[in-house]
Amino acid sequence: MINKTLDEKAFHLLKEKMEQGLLPQWVITDPDIYELEIEKIYGYTWQFLGHETELKEPGSYITRWMVNDPILLVKNRNGEINAFLNSCTHRGTMLCTADRGNKKTFTCPYHGWSFNTDGDLVGIVAGNKVYGEEMCKAEWNLRKVPRVESYQGMIFGNLDVNAEPLEDYLGEMKWYFDILLGRSGGMEVKGLPQRWVAKANWKATAENFAADPYHVQTTHRSTVEMGISPEDPLYAGYGHQVVLENGHGINVITSKTGKARVPFQSMPESIWPLFEEHLSPKQLDIQSRVTVFVGGVFPNLSFVSPIHGTEGHLHNYLNFRMWRPLGPDKVEVWCWFMIDKAAPEEYKDAAYKGYLGSFGPSGTLEQDDTENWARIVEVSKGLMMRDKELNYNNVNNYLMGLGRVEPDENFPGPGVAYPTTYLDAIARSMHEHWLKYISKGLFVKEESK
Amino acid sequence: MNSKLKNKITTELQLEIINFLHQEAYLLDSRKYKEWLNLLTDDLVYRMPLRETVEGVGANNIAEDSAFFEETKKSLTTRANRLYTKSAWVENPATRQRHFITNILVESTANPNEFKVRSYFLFKRSRGSSHTIEEMFGERNDIIRKVNDEYKIAERTIYPDQAVITTMNMSMFL
Repeated sequence: MINKTLDEKAFHLLKEKMEQGLLPQWVITDPDIYELEIEKIYGYTWQFLGHETELKEPGSYITRWMVNDPILLVKNRNGEINAFLNSCTHRGTMLCTADRGNKKTFTCPYHGWSFNTDGDLVGIVAGNKVYGEEMCKAEWNLRKVPRVESYQGMIFGNLDVNAEPLEDYLGEMKWYFDILLGRSGGMEVKGLPQRWVAKANWKATAENFAADPYHVQTTHRSTVEMGISPEDPLYAGYGHQVVLENGHGINVITSKTGKARVPFQSMPESIWPLFEEHLSPKQLDIQSRVTVFVGGVFPNLSFVSPIHGTEGHLHNYLNFRMWRPLGPDKVEVWCWFMIDKAAPEEYKDAAYKGYLGSFGPSGTLEQDDTENWARIVEVSKGLMMRDKELNYNNVNNYLMGLGRVEPDENFPGPGVAYPTTYLDAIARSMHEHWLKYISKGLFVKEESK
Repeated sequence: MNSKLKNKITTELQLEIINFLHQEAYLLDSRKYKEWLNLLTDDLVYRMPLRETVEGVGANNIAEDSAFFEETKKSLTTRANRLYTKSAWVENPATRQRHFITNILVESTANPNEFKVRSYFLFKRSRGSSHTIEEMFGERNDIIRKVNDEYKIAERTIYPDQAVITTMNMSMFL
């Protein structure tokens, strides 16, 4: 295996620029950087696979991707969720091509080898006759994803067997996940995630959610024109931008007064008592004041929990999305709708309509986001993005608030909380982690292992 | 196939409905969304579930629990009106789009003023100077109602043939 590495000089120049709040634009779509990212970031970080409520019965399965690795998640007879490489151990054929379903065994269409919900090889066509009695079936079970762990129903996989535990990786984000996912006792996924392909780079889309409420006023200007969003250009900036460890981040957007615009994000009153039961007083304080939560888990999982409606009524929902890289300028977007299990059914239905009207490929807010993502990759490949002296003069500006906005020591949650969300603090933290991962083992020259 | 006549669908009626769907496509392609909204009944049901890949022959592969659109006339009106603002960037500069509507089959229903109409759609879109042509295709199942001598769409269910959508976004109506 060839160990890819980053040119030492390029690394130092990158580091130098980034310390000043500048990101050389060529790194967004550079094909060599992309290869490094896939190997060094996606090979070692926790990737989101799905939510536990997507697998209801024993035998329920869903198929997912960890960038280019096809993954089969299946609930076994004991109710445990297993994650396997979705590839027959005989000749490597993709074992299951469906998006979801329920099965007792998975049979490969090529030679008929079959596996149970624990990944055990349970059937070989003409086994004894062609392989003999001595073949040890257990050696040919499905290959498990090296590490699979979950938190608040969110299942993650890691290709690095030595990775730190998921809970350590999520770190301070766990406290916010407890609010987003655990406030009423648990969330459920409705149906299948929507999927579509966008001309975009995964870093830009992740940054858009984790770190960028500043875009709201302009990108989503149409909702201001429609009278749905406030005229105040700072309206998405009130609240806190919270930089969390490990490159994660969350924006807790409140209002000009710091109070809620509508109590508990328009969630039904019937579930309010559950918040007190499941949240600490500090978490409840945040949940009672927030208008929008929006943030991300490094590298490519994002979420938004806003208030929306297309029929004049406002509803809250939780949207998780995963940006699966397909190339330097292409992502496959996976977009899940989640809602409090405890909410009344009619609220869930109305919230789903509110979601379709705002986010997802048909959402009126999202439609304009995709436009900007595409425009970023369209300009990033050119020669003028880097000059011959490798000075990388075309740089993106991440200076907002740098050295000017000081953390708010009174913020009740963990992390470094700045008293505005119009800030580049999370973006700079994401880029720092990005550089840390892709430059790991930098001074190892190309070698065959 | 049952070819037994229920209420007779005359050639004239069939042609009227085909023309109606072609006219609708023209309005959408010409970005005359307000005129398009006039073709919808006030009690309109407009849905687009997801297509999913499932195993098994003849298995239902429409994900009825997941959607791209779950709309009423009111919500479609909000969507359409937004496209008239200056800052709906997805359509400014405007995309160039064509709806190709084919394989139109008209059937009668128990209500003499309502017709079940199935059609295939091919939607193509070109954006800016992009060399890539975006497209979607699939089937629509409509209920077309005759109201005061005019045809209106009372119900539309859109079935995309792609499990993963390959347009950048879905600012279009199908």
